[in-house]
Amino acid sequence: MTIKVDARGMGCPKPVIMTKNAIEAAGKDSIITIVDNEVAMENVKKLAAKLNFNVEIEKKDGDFYLSIFKDGSCAEAVEEATNDIGDWAILVCDDKLGAGAEALGNILIKGYFYALTESKPYPKAILFMNCGINLTVEGSESLEHIKTLEDKGVEILSCGTCLDFYDLKSKLMVGNVSNMYTMVEKMNEATKVVRI
Amino acid sequence: MEKEFYAMSFESTHYAIMMEKKLKEKHETIMIPTPREITASCGLSLKIPVNLIDNVLNDLRTWDVDTNMFGIYKIDRTKEESYAEKIIWQE
Repeated sequence: MTIKVDARGMGCPKPVIMTKNAIEAAGKDSIITIVDNEVAMENVKKLAAKLNFNVEIEKKDGDFYLSIFKDGSCAEAVEEATNDIGDWAILVCDDKLGAGAEALGNILIKGYFYALTESKPYPKAILFMNCGINLTVEGSESLEHIKTLEDKGVEILSCGTCLDFYDLKSKLMVGNVSNMYTMVEKMNEATKVVRI
Repeated sequence: MEKEFYAMSFESTHYAIMMEKKLKEKHETIMIPTPREITASCGLSLKIPVNLIDNVLNDLRTWDVDTNMFGIYKIDRTKEESYAEKIIWQE
């Protein structure tokens, strides 16, 4: 659907305000603003650019028709990215996978995070606690994989108390610092929590 | 998901760990679970980017390695059906 904003004969800044209100109300709809002078045309164009909208301008009978719309490919990309995100969380409390030989545990945890980057949908959040934070700090061999997951839209949270205890706060390389309340919320919101 | 890379897949976990240590001193390789396209192996592979494969192969040719312990595959996911092709690299 297209919303029409007729701002012909309106003085500055009326066309801009009317367009801005229309954009806010529009949701997914596109908007056509009609103005009758170049200054108003430029101002509306600037507004659309500021709000990251695309503009196409057509001149008809001395009036300017500005079609304002969200970039389709961008909107689709955003939608696609959010579709790839699941609704569960992963809780990582160790820097190795499983009990047993340390060398094997290190290899398995690296492999686990690599495989996570290759499997859709991705988890909604990965929570790192206690020794788990060794994976999100400098020197971690899983860092690149965790960064990849963050780029895909996965929320990466490391326990602040733990970073502080192990004196690693300044070494955090991916995601954000979090507290127990947020961690509990993330787990409660998740349809399942995978504990590593 | 990376479209093209090489995977050095191992018959033994211990050999994989040894080779990772050795290769990592010179090359940017990472240990990954063996890609599904490859059916053999102990489940561990070293991922070698396309631009590094020649250097890695040159080193392997000069090192004393047990070629029964691993195979090197090219993983191609550019086509609809992804596949692994074992490469012949020994002279």
